Amino acid sequence: MIILHKRETIENKYSRIDDQSTIKDIDNYTLINIYLLEKYRNEIVKKKLKVGLELFSDDNFELTEKNLSIFSMVQINFKTFKDGRPFSFAKKLRKQLDFKNEIRAGGHILPDQYIFLLRSGFDSVEIKKEDKDIWIEILDMDDGLYYQPD
Amino acid sequence: MYKYSKTDKQIVKARTKQFKNQVFRRIKGKLSEEEFKPLRLMNGLYLQLHAYMLRVAIPYGELSSNQLKKLAEIAKKYDKGYGHFTTRQNIQFNWPKLTDVPEILSELAEVEMHAIQTSGNCIRNLSSDHLAGIIKNEVEDPRPWCEIIRKWSTFHPEFSFLPRKFKIAVTGCDEDRAAIKVHDIGLKLINKNDRIGFEVYVGGGQGRSPYIAKKLRNFLKKGDLLNYLEAILSTYNELGRRDNIYKARIKILINELGIEKFKNKVEEKFKKFSNQELIIKKEDIKKIFSYFQLPKLNKKKGIVKNNKDPKYNIWLKQNVIKHKISGYSIVLISLKPLGKPPGDADAKQMKGIAKISDEYSFGEIRVTHEQNLVLPHIENKNLFLVWKKLRNLDISTPNIGLITDTICCPGMDYCALATARSIPISQKISNHFRNIENQKKIGDLKIKISGCINACGHHHVGNIGILGLDKNGAESYQITLGGSSKNDASIGQIVGPSFSEGNLLGAIEKIINLYKKNKKKNEDFLSVFRRIGISEFKKYLYDNTS
Amino acid sequence: MAKKLKGDFFFLTANDLQTGAVLFFTKKGWLCESSDAIKIPRERIEHYEKIARKYEDDCRIISPFFVELDESGGIKSLRDKIRNKGITFKLKNV
Repeated sequence: MIILHKRETIENKYSRIDDQSTIKDIDNYTLINIYLLEKYRNEIVKKKLKVGLELFSDDNFELTEKNLSIFSMVQINFKTFKDGRPFSFAKKLRKQLDFKNEIRAGGHILPDQYIFLLRSGFDSVEIKKEDKDIWIEILDMDDGLYYQPD
Repeated sequence: MYKYSKTDKQIVKARTKQFKNQVFRRIKGKLSEEEFKPLRLMNGLYLQLHAYMLRVAIPYGELSSNQLKKLAEIAKKYDKGYGHFTTRQNIQFNWPKLTDVPEILSELAEVEMHAIQTSGNCIRNLSSDHLAGIIKNEVEDPRPWCEIIRKWSTFHPEFSFLPRKFKIAVTGCDEDRAAIKVHDIGLKLINKNDRIGFEVYVGGGQGRSPYIAKKLRNFLKKGDLLNYLEAILSTYNELGRRDNIYKARIKILINELGIEKFKNKVEEKFKKFSNQELIIKKEDIKKIFSYFQLPKLNKKKGIVKNNKDPKYNIWLKQNVIKHKISGYSIVLISLKPLGKPPGDADAKQMKGIAKISDEYSFGEIRVTHEQNLVLPHIENKNLFLVWKKLRNLDISTPNIGLITDTICCPGMDYCALATARSIPISQKISNHFRNIENQKKIGDLKIKISGCINACGHHHVGNIGILGLDKNGAESYQITLGGSSKNDASIGQIVGPSFSEGNLLGAIEKIINLYKKNKKKNEDFLSVFRRIGISEFKKYLYDNTS
Repeated sequence: MAKKLKGDFFFLTANDLQTGAVLFFTKKGWLCESSDAIKIPRERIEHYEKIARKYEDDCRIISPFFVELDESGGIKSLRDKIRNKGITFKLKNV
């Protein structure tokens, strides 16, 4: 898998850990899930770590400005590309919670959704290496004309 | 009517190019059918019983004669020579090849048309009053607002993968000809203390679980329209069910949450998320309205005169309405002639209507949600000529609003979802009640026919609704009575056990007889039904037959 | 595909990916006519499912499914009959 940021492949600094992990396994750029967040939030804050949060499109999770501050990246995985909730979620992160760091899309996403993702507040996508060309091809087809404001 | 800006043209062109790329990838196997399906649906392309079906958008029912000519050409070149007008003011072609669709879309783009978002889980074509801007007693023309909403909803990055389809209708009159109360969002322009704004309704719909929309806002300022719609859609996108496609519409969410809770969530989002750039400024409103000005119609004294030809006089009385500008009339073209499938027009007819419009109606045509067409501005002195020309095209049937002006979905003859045929039923009714004098005695009566519980024929809001079912492999028809899609919207009530295809006409005849027996002066079917109640009809239909 | 199948004999049918035309699987491959369609007994369904999947993967067909036959070997359900024969009313004026 690679991380595509507009047209460029960027280094994936984040690594996932499993649910059996302890606070010792969590460091800067660890990608944690809600379960680990709820278990170790206080310690992560104490240690002043910058971690990534991984969510899924069907997660029912209330984010607040307070608990967002520890995240240098939020990844939202589409369980199916048809589930459009991450678009609203990304908008919420940007507009309501003023999240300024990286928002990444992963899971089952189509290159045809790339423009929508970028316009909803996503910065990057996690995709298969062999799909890179088609994602960029579709991005290049876009001429930047939209009816809605940014 | 609205003219595309440079941006509009480029956006449609880009979308056509994008779809061409998607078709290419599909044919080469780079997209699976599962991945391609939502993408082709977003371009209005279905797979139906016999072939693909392409649904072309006719935004809020407005067509130019050039556009209608192009639709005629497409019908001839890429299809079987005809098109079908739908209950959402769109047109459908039933036989295009997938490989031809990119070319069809390119040709449509030449005349500022497209098939964008006519299907799929996104915001669909706006529908509106077919008499918008040309009828008296209108609070405000709803069409400019439809155009504003259309732009806002096209390729909206947040709302292109909703739980399910989303339909919006706008009316500018107290008399609702847009069926707003059976739409996901219904907007009604109102005048409150000399200020014009919107009443906002949500959660209406038909299908398996019909609901009449509930009022969300008594008064919404014009400038706030788009921000408020964003708040509604965002709430729906987040909370609408995605586990069951039959429970995924907003009407189900509102029913489960309750209107008050839903409203609180919407109002909260509206407060928190309102985008300054979405506030519609007065100068933008003025600009959009400028596209919808009336053509140069000089007030005339020419009254609508009868003629020696009795057929013309009958047509005049039934199919012609007074325009708000004196000396002009609105002509309704019935696409429900005897013996033909309702709502269809062949290429010759489309071309002919376009020509008549060029000559007599300033190049404008409209589509009604009851599957008929409108020539909006006919000078009274030209009415007879127009009638003769329509008659030559076999589209002068004088049955607008009468029993043979049925609304009918394509049904099992075309649709993969249907459980029964609907078009032959419509034709049976049409043949049986062919006598115009008898039809006029029956008066205003809306029969709406759906070939399955998805209710594309709007049977729930038919004065007489007919729902086609499958009963142990045989077609069976359930009758509902007392529905209405107007301001007094109501869902029809099931009258009793369903009828076989052979017995259905007899049942309809009985219903009409009971109505005629009880009819008082100036009452129509719906009034009689509401006065005497369903139990009378139950008794009359089912006693002696069980 | 084979879930909830009722009956003893079936035709395999699909739509042509590019044209959308209704197709039936015959000894000569996919044809628009059902007259030469292979009569498939229930126990052979899995085998023909694999065949259908192959044609799907090759981007020749979409939406393959099995059409139930009646005792005389004809298509059973009304919808499938209409799909085979075409619309049941005249398009032109009666």
